[in-house]
Amino acid sequence: MKLGATATRAGRRFISSLPALFGVVVFTFLLMRVLPGDPAVFFASGPQAGPEEIAMIRKQMGLDKPVPQQLLLYLGDLSQGNLGRSLTTGQPVLADLRNRLPASLELTLTALLIALLTAVPLGIIAALRPGSAVDHLVRFICALGVCVPTFVSGLLLIYVFYYLLGLAPDPTGRIDIFLSQPPRVTGFLLIDFALAGDWEGWSAAARQLVLPALTMALFVVAPLARMTRASMLASLGSDFIRTAKSLGLSGRKIIVTYALRNAILPVLTIAGIVFSTMLGANVLVEKVFSWPGVASYALDALLSSDYAPVQGFVLLMAAIFVFVNLTVDVLYGIADPRVSVE
Amino acid sequence: MTFHRTALLSLFLASAALPALAQTRAETLRHVTGASINTLDPNMPGSTREAFGLSLLSYDRLVSFGRKQLDGKWVFDLDTIRGELAERFDVSPDGLKITFHLRKDAKFHDGSPVTAEDVKWSMDRAVTARSLAAGQLLTGSITKADQFRIIDTHTVELTLPQPDKLALPNLATVYPVIFNAKLAKSKATAEDPWAQEWLKANTAGSGAYIIESFKAGETTILRRNEDWKRGPGNSQAHFKRIITQTIPEASTRANLVERGDADIVIDLQAVDAADLEKKGKLKVISTPQYNAITFVSFNNQIPPFDKVGVRRAIAAALPYEDMFKAALFERGKRLYGATWADGKAPTGDTFPIVQPLKTNLAEAKRLLTEAGLPDGFSTTFSFNVGQAGTAEPMAALLKESLEKIGIKVEIQKLPDAQMSTLINEKKVPFFTEGIVAWLPSMDYFYRNFYIGPIRWNYSSLNDPKLTELAQAARFEGDKAKYAAYGLQLNTMHYDLMPQIPLWQPSQDAVMAPGIEGYTYQFHRQIDFRDLSRK
Repeated sequence: MKLGATATRAGRRFISSLPALFGVVVFTFLLMRVLPGDPAVFFASGPQAGPEEIAMIRKQMGLDKPVPQQLLLYLGDLSQGNLGRSLTTGQPVLADLRNRLPASLELTLTALLIALLTAVPLGIIAALRPGSAVDHLVRFICALGVCVPTFVSGLLLIYVFYYLLGLAPDPTGRIDIFLSQPPRVTGFLLIDFALAGDWEGWSAAARQLVLPALTMALFVVAPLARMTRASMLASLGSDFIRTAKSLGLSGRKIIVTYALRNAILPVLTIAGIVFSTMLGANVLVEKVFSWPGVASYALDALLSSDYAPVQGFVLLMAAIFVFVNLTVDVLYGIADPRVSVE
Repeated sequence: MTFHRTALLSLFLASAALPALAQTRAETLRHVTGASINTLDPNMPGSTREAFGLSLLSYDRLVSFGRKQLDGKWVFDLDTIRGELAERFDVSPDGLKITFHLRKDAKFHDGSPVTAEDVKWSMDRAVTARSLAAGQLLTGSITKADQFRIIDTHTVELTLPQPDKLALPNLATVYPVIFNAKLAKSKATAEDPWAQEWLKANTAGSGAYIIESFKAGETTILRRNEDWKRGPGNSQAHFKRIITQTIPEASTRANLVERGDADIVIDLQAVDAADLEKKGKLKVISTPQYNAITFVSFNNQIPPFDKVGVRRAIAAALPYEDMFKAALFERGKRLYGATWADGKAPTGDTFPIVQPLKTNLAEAKRLLTEAGLPDGFSTTFSFNVGQAGTAEPMAALLKESLEKIGIKVEIQKLPDAQMSTLINEKKVPFFTEGIVAWLPSMDYFYRNFYIGPIRWNYSSLNDPKLTELAQAARFEGDKAKYAAYGLQLNTMHYDLMPQIPLWQPSQDAVMAPGIEGYTYQFHRQIDFRDLSRK
């Protein structure tokens, strides 16, 4: 009964987001064409690079047709699951994204997990003793995490753990180049290695993941910890906690079962937003660690005005954003049965 | 019990596998780069430089460049052409016919022999298909399919409309590689008669290396072709495996090579290369790119840069030495600071030559006043994001110096695609850019970079006399007469000052101490066939 209601709600939400997705497709399409920079000129690099060569590339990219017609052709291709071809990598965009999205997701999910596991306890501790030395320490850590840009913390971690100490593996992507990849099932290396039963490979992939995931986690610990602290404070000051205390319930039960469960809603919201942002904006981390993810792919394409990959990337991000919002909505219902978001 | 046995077994296996692994590492060359390979067919419009590098390993050409020493460093030599798939070639006395005799032992990767049919098909493809090759080959008077004729299974003849010094060198560039015609034709379709789609993602070559795995923008792994014996003294390539990895962050590349995890890198930041050279643990071969030039350029059609006085004033006001230090850490060859006795160029054999340019603000002020702009003017100075590392400090110094003679400069940093578009449309007044010539002969530079409405004519120069001299030099067979043309051209270049040559940046190849044989190549990539490990 309850599950059915949640599913219906999720379905309705999904359908109502379709027009937004369509809008994103059209908007990105037009935006790319309005931006200065002609991809045909950029990719024409021969010694003559004359009008003929530029016209040839323009034709190859379909840019010789009027924009409305290009848009219709693009939508037609989209409906058949064809996102076009990237000139930067020479591959179909769909294949590129399919190869690279698991890399980004694996990194972002790990980072989010690390961030949540650190931020929530930190927030709770800070809320339990507001104004104390512990609270100030947490505030300091958060401020530090936010102040240091990811590429600085990333390079710093590489410098210390790879260059100086030699503890971390070389920061060159998802797996040591001399190891062989597991058979591809999900594209998530940790899962694929586990499925193949190759634990040596699994630990190698995990070791590659530690530094970039830490770098990303550092950056998002602050909003999560601050949000946990604020909503825990509000929750701890409410009447039902006072009642629980007067009834003599154990401290653990009061904090975890009553206070935290009530305080977790805003943290979930923030976690959803943080996840989507991390996925799209982790380009610096991907660049620093040579991580073959979607964000660095999109940036390279954008710099060379390569339309198809950028459009494909934005569409993918929009779809993920919709999906994450749905998930957060469903989680709301589980965290607090009183909530029903329509 | 079972656990113990498995653990013991794996321990045993690990110790047995170790020596084999170590050996593989020594026979493997790991190369890191910031850029990526986007096609396996170098002829595809939009091919990256790294794609060119790869194609010379997976394919052979008819001929290739020899090498020579320049200031103690090995560089490619435009004037020595040696056979690659051709065992030898003869040039007829009138220079109109070149006959290529193919090696009889050459095989494609699928085992089929390389024949004249394959050469003919590949050359037809180069001049006919819509690709990059046609535009390049016409600079060597190779434009039509019927110029190539099959004499017999192992002999092909090329006929030229006029003797052309650049015909053979053009065949040594990256485009006219020889494809396995039978294989390629089997993949061709009615819309795609030259199998361009298929060859983007597959190879059909006879080169020294076979592509084992290719992930665009990540890694490429090459395996040695054991049948290939076309190195010096009919030798094989030295390395059994070559791994090329894309590492976008320059400082990470420096870390990798310094720690010995990577064997060679050629695209470090100047500051990292200088640092590694100082530490002295690695081998650093720093070769000025003698076929490249960095310019401060003006659009000669846009006022006030249409006045030669303004251009010369700016040339006198640039803080050359400071810019060279700040942008390149002095890693390159200076193209300023010469003394020309009578205001005439000292040589005409080559371009570029060191210019008699010095920082002289009083002279700059005088020239500007003479040009009718005593109070100076305002303008923008543009560069693209991709060059920001060197262009940014340079632009700041330029701005500071020009302010002293009354020229106010606003610095404009543009995304690469936008910059190329604006340059192609001839809309940027004042900027910095670089050029590279695969075939760095004097007339080639003037013909490709100073004539016509093409993108590479940065200065938009349109000077009938210069055009006439450059075209005449192209087909001049007599060395002395050629140099006389060059002398006039080089002098004109200085007098007109269409753009200011600054320097030739070095290519810093940083490698493990045991790597030998590195040669600076025309396409500014590593030819891995040159390398070996001591």
